[in-house]
Amino acid sequence: MARIQFNKVNKRYANGFHAVKDLNLEIRDKEFLVLLGPSGCGKSTTLNMIAGLEEVSDGELLFDDRIVNDAPPHKRDVAMVFQSYALYPHKSVYENIGFGLRMRRMDKAEIDRRVRDAATRLEITHLLDSRPGNLSGGQRQRVALGRAMVREPAVFLMDEPLSNLDAALRISMRAEIKELHRTMQTTFVFVTHDQAEALTLADRIVVMRDGVVQQIGTPDDIYERPRNTFVASFLGSPPINYLDGQIDTVDGGSLFRRGDLSLRLPPHVAERLAGQGGRHVTLGIRAEDVDERHQAGADNLLRARVKSVLPIGSDQYLGVHFDKQELYFRVGKDLAHKPGETVDLAVDLSRLHVFDPETSRSLIWEDGAAQ
Amino acid sequence: MDTAIQVSEQSRRDAEGYRRARLRALWVRRMVIFVSAVVLSIYVLAPVVWLVSSSVQTEAEITSVPPHWIPEEPTLQNYRAIFSATEEEEITYENRSGVDPVSGGFIPSTAKSLLPAMGNSFIVACAVVVLNLLVGVPAAYAIAKIRFMARNASVYFILTTRVIPDIALVVPFFLMIKNLGLLDTLSSLIITYLAVTVPFTVFILVQYFEGLPDELDKAARVDGCSRFQALIHVYLPLSLPSLVAVVLFTFLTSWNEFLLALMFTQTEASQTLPILLAAFTSDFTISFSFINAAGVLAIVPPVIVAIVFERYIVSGLTAGAVKG
Repeated sequence: MARIQFNKVNKRYANGFHAVKDLNLEIRDKEFLVLLGPSGCGKSTTLNMIAGLEEVSDGELLFDDRIVNDAPPHKRDVAMVFQSYALYPHKSVYENIGFGLRMRRMDKAEIDRRVRDAATRLEITHLLDSRPGNLSGGQRQRVALGRAMVREPAVFLMDEPLSNLDAALRISMRAEIKELHRTMQTTFVFVTHDQAEALTLADRIVVMRDGVVQQIGTPDDIYERPRNTFVASFLGSPPINYLDGQIDTVDGGSLFRRGDLSLRLPPHVAERLAGQGGRHVTLGIRAEDVDERHQAGADNLLRARVKSVLPIGSDQYLGVHFDKQELYFRVGKDLAHKPGETVDLAVDLSRLHVFDPETSRSLIWEDGAAQ
Repeated sequence: MDTAIQVSEQSRRDAEGYRRARLRALWVRRMVIFVSAVVLSIYVLAPVVWLVSSSVQTEAEITSVPPHWIPEEPTLQNYRAIFSATEEEEITYENRSGVDPVSGGFIPSTAKSLLPAMGNSFIVACAVVVLNLLVGVPAAYAIAKIRFMARNASVYFILTTRVIPDIALVVPFFLMIKNLGLLDTLSSLIITYLAVTVPFTVFILVQYFEGLPDELDKAARVDGCSRFQALIHVYLPLSLPSLVAVVLFTFLTSWNEFLLALMFTQTEASQTLPILLAAFTSDFTISFSFINAAGVLAIVPPVIVAIVFERYIVSGLTAGAVKG
């Protein structure tokens, strides 16, 4: 049971690096929160501050209503899983899992019960006497999870725990972690740079960049309603395409124009851009938001020259040249294209994103506009 | 395979030639390694063998030409003298000729101080080892794992103290020891040896601790350890090889140290083995066989220490060199 609040928290390192800037964040009790961002964005620092492994430079960090700025890690009731697993090489799996309980002077019988419980749940009972050095990556990961689980902590912290696993294992472990969260009924804070992990696991995602929070919201919010170009680019594969152009107001609606291209903006966009004819904007089209099987009409046609075709099994990525710019789309694999051909793509207008080219902020989903 | 690949006679001959050349090269390489190993072993072991052999020879035999590697009349008189030297008659310039003229056997006047000196050496060496670990381990952990101001500066400071040669420090040390009233005490040796060895200990351990992942420290602390407990429960068991290297290094340095001991010690109360051994050569008469017997005793404790920790030595000595 723990609610964590960051109140104007800053983290500056001794070398002057400002890792986290004015962080305001409330992590709700029993929530699965994912901190997402590229390396160096301050997400791990934020996690370490929750754990007590990094000091808060200024601001307040609260667990429930208790200020814990200066509380050492062992006074915080948190458990953590690390990217490298950080198992103690000189201890057996059993001792690794039970170590945190032993340090808390728990009764031997109770330690034994909890360790065996966790081992059973994680299906590592047969490994209890082994040393971590003899285990595979996936097994070590389970031991690391077990070590955190037995503590029954108020807050469960995970620092890129899946990055060292191979692709198939990563997906199955994602499911297990989600299940763990459901059964443990405790607050999870998970750090990753992998958008897919964030989208599958999170109740809410916090996207960070250079120590500053870019957007906080549900996975759906973050993906469908990005507040700026950074968030829009960070999620989605291949990444969102940008086109600079101008707004043109015609007979009650709005058009995005660039050269020959003219796309009719949907009503909810047109409404927000009413009276701004002639404004320069950046249009965002997600890779999957085009279709070439449907007939493109006059108001959603994107005509481009095929540059590359990259099959990925289920679909194919289509690289096209449009007005000296390269765009990547994800299309069905049943249509064959050859480089050099001209292709007509129907853009899904309802899913367009419009950004201010100066500030990179969304003109549709401004702060507070689409909560 | 139904169809064998056709290979020309010429290429078969070539292949055979290459094979022979490869075997020859391999054989040559083995011989070079073997011969080098033998030469090196002789170079290292011959003095020790001569030391042991001559320690059981009489003074007459020891000076024979050619030397006897295997004693013809082995005698334990030197060892007997060392271990039973209780209240020997004092040997002075006047009665020095009372020595057995046939065997040339001669026991220095200070023979009875040998065992007490060994005791002194042992106490000093053990104290230096223990204090090194007590000071060096927490210092190295702090430098390696805790970010604090002037961390790099303190590492450089510690290392710079090792750049200064001991001889330059002898006089300042002497004045300090004298003013502290510690002349001719074991404490004077322990204190100065620590000044010499602690920087090296810290240096070795910092290297080793830095090679151990930070995440282990974090994991331990989240698991409920204080910094100190993380050190005890996680880092110490993992750094056993480097600890052994430190124990050996500090023990041997203290055991062998001569210069500082020569300055600070005056009597049997604090003289260490190297000082006493050196003094045998400045007695009225020099007995080489006796000095060699004492030399044998002097190498026994280090050899025992080395054998006890043998399996850790190699990994410990290389630990500081290569990270990870």
